[in-house]
Amino acid sequence: MKHQLVVNKSLQKMVPGVWLTAAAVSICLLTVFILVGMISARGLSYFLPSPVQTIVLQQPIAGQSQYVGQILAQEDSYQALNDRESAAQRILLRHTTSNLARSKYLWIELNEIKSMRLDKDIMVVERLNASPLFVYAYQTSQAKLLAKLEQINQLQDRVAELRRGKLSRLLDQVDQAGPDLPSIRDSLADVEAEISALQQKMQQKNLLVTNIYGQQVEIKAQELATLYWPNQMNFWQKSKFFVQRFIDFVSDYPREANTRGGVFPAIFGTVLMVLLMSLLVAPMGVIAAIYLHEYAGNNWLTRIIRIAVINLAGVPSIVYGVFGLGFFVYFVGTGIDEIFFSEQLPSPTFGSPGILWSALTLAILTLPIVIVTTEEGLSRIPVSIREGSYALGANRSETIWRVILPMASPAIMTGLILAVARAAGEVAPLMLVGVVKMAPTLPLDNVFPYLHLDRQFMHLGFHIYDLGFQSSQIEAVRPMVFATAFLLILIVVFLNLAAVSLRNRLNYKYHYTKR
Amino acid sequence: MISFSPSMQSASYLTAPDELSDTETELAINNYCLFYGQQQALFDINMKIPKNKVTALIGPSGCGKSTLLRSINRMNDLLPDCRTQGEILFAGQNIMQPNVDVATLRRMIGMVFQSPNPFPKSIFENVIYGLRVRGVNNKRRLDSAAEDALRKAALWDEVKDRLDESALNLSGGQQQRLVIARAIAVEPSVLLLDEPTSALDPISTLTIEELINELKSTYTVVIVTHNMQQAARVSDYTAFMFMGELIEYTDTNQLFTTPSKKKTEDYITGRYG
Repeated sequence: MKHQLVVNKSLQKMVPGVWLTAAAVSICLLTVFILVGMISARGLSYFLPSPVQTIVLQQPIAGQSQYVGQILAQEDSYQALNDRESAAQRILLRHTTSNLARSKYLWIELNEIKSMRLDKDIMVVERLNASPLFVYAYQTSQAKLLAKLEQINQLQDRVAELRRGKLSRLLDQVDQAGPDLPSIRDSLADVEAEISALQQKMQQKNLLVTNIYGQQVEIKAQELATLYWPNQMNFWQKSKFFVQRFIDFVSDYPREANTRGGVFPAIFGTVLMVLLMSLLVAPMGVIAAIYLHEYAGNNWLTRIIRIAVINLAGVPSIVYGVFGLGFFVYFVGTGIDEIFFSEQLPSPTFGSPGILWSALTLAILTLPIVIVTTEEGLSRIPVSIREGSYALGANRSETIWRVILPMASPAIMTGLILAVARAAGEVAPLMLVGVVKMAPTLPLDNVFPYLHLDRQFMHLGFHIYDLGFQSSQIEAVRPMVFATAFLLILIVVFLNLAAVSLRNRLNYKYHYTKR
Repeated sequence: MISFSPSMQSASYLTAPDELSDTETELAINNYCLFYGQQQALFDINMKIPKNKVTALIGPSGCGKSTLLRSINRMNDLLPDCRTQGEILFAGQNIMQPNVDVATLRRMIGMVFQSPNPFPKSIFENVIYGLRVRGVNNKRRLDSAAEDALRKAALWDEVKDRLDESALNLSGGQQQRLVIARAIAVEPSVLLLDEPTSALDPISTLTIEELINELKSTYTVVIVTHNMQQAARVSDYTAFMFMGELIEYTDTNQLFTTPSKKKTEDYITGRYG
């Protein structure tokens, strides 16, 4: 009897099991790519200069037949929803009101548009506390305007420096010593005079521009942020603009109810809170895992505790938030206030939501992850290693400290990576225990004791929620929501990469196989 | 807590066993029984292990030779449900007493395991592990102890230029000698070797066997082995165990040439095991 040893190779590869597993992986990958791709594409487009269109309509809308503005979105119009044959589309245009007060949003049907063009001379004026304007330069050249902008920005920087530095130091002194001290009063007056002199200097540099209706309008230098000509930018200029805008976004403070400016405090708050959480959860989780695995006997009580720990990971995060508010803020925080900060009562110090309580709440939330992964790591260490240590006269704690813990460190890092990834994206519990829409100060500054654990903080996740769902100008902030989401993903990836590289180094050092 | 002083180690009140051609006894095992839960693993073991000699324990798998070896430095404590009867005398003390300081005992009775188990640390840190645990941190003392131990374990020339490298980069044979050096560094008086060459190639095995020959001038060596040729080559005395009982214990030459028990003869001639 002959056996057929040679099989068709392509058939051999088409084992259903392989196909199934490969398909599962593909679906996972596809989801990740679509998600990250969509967020990064839409988020990054926020930093690009979008062209300013001049649109002429067939029939006037609101008494106006020509609009100048940026197209924010394009979608099927209502007509198309009712009638499947029609391919009618409409666009969302952001334009400025005639008095340049604010932006307006207008849906225009594509078939109502007579012509659309890019006017090279259109200038975008970004203002500090108001929406951008689309105007023309008035009797001056681009170079002159840019030079003026630079002078204005320098003056603004000097004012901001004075406010942040001298003025805030003096105000701190006033807080402590009272405003009656003559020396303080004098220097306070000096600083204020200096600031008003700078502001007057700025007033002389107010810009005169022509709006789209041909009227001359003045733009206050104090309000001016930047100006640019999006319709005549080449690729190089666009890239420069993109980079500059990205840097501004990550380094600036938010303006105008968070709808403009940057998200620096939110980035800072997110990263600081996650680091604090890691500092809290790592020792807690590792020590608990060591007790469970090394010291506790293997009886029904240990098994119940282990199951309870695993189940803790499934508790909804908002429950942790409520627990954090009730236990940490109201019970522990109020207790701390009564003992250590009684002179400041009734205004709470630790008895109100703050970054410490947020970090603690998330530490408890992620504790099960760290315990379970650490225990896994401990149980992977060969018995022979423990015996080797005992045989040299080490007792149990010496063995744990000198051999077991270093060898379990890659597993501990894995737990921490998972914890960080979970904590960085968590928003719901934070809304109860410390996150705010707008924090006046960072939790870390140059005033003793430098790290202010009682302060409330801003968080990227909450920023996304607040911008996307609580804002009155949803159309204007939508790109910013994507940009913020993109940034949050970037930060989580960055934190994870840092932890992974640390783990790989530990793995290389302590992995128990011959290389 | 009972402590062991060096002067008590060489107490000569322990007389040599009649049947062994030797004078001084290091360890005396008297009526020793061991139970795992309900199951008895060792039955009434009586043997005297002479000082500065190599004693081999042979026997088929599961005969209890490793269990007996592990009892000598109380490694059996690590097993749950393990219970013992009888006594093992070392330096005049019954080491099976519950108030014995096990850590000190294990420093005096070192152990090397079946497969090399270096810690994932540098070669240097592996050798001085026992000293570090004891609280020795004097750099010069650690250096000289490491060199001394590595020389005794015949490993110094191979690793002297790379003491800071990970011990895991060494070959299996080198790792096993490193583990022996690690045990020597704490200056024990007894070395227990639990099938030390079973995971090694013939050349490394030969090196380790030569090393055992060197070591017996300083240490009392007890070796468990499956390999009867090895027992014949390296040991001065051999004990044959079967089903948890000590069947025959005498000079190695005598045991392999003229065994007095039928079971011993059957085993060494390959009838079972």
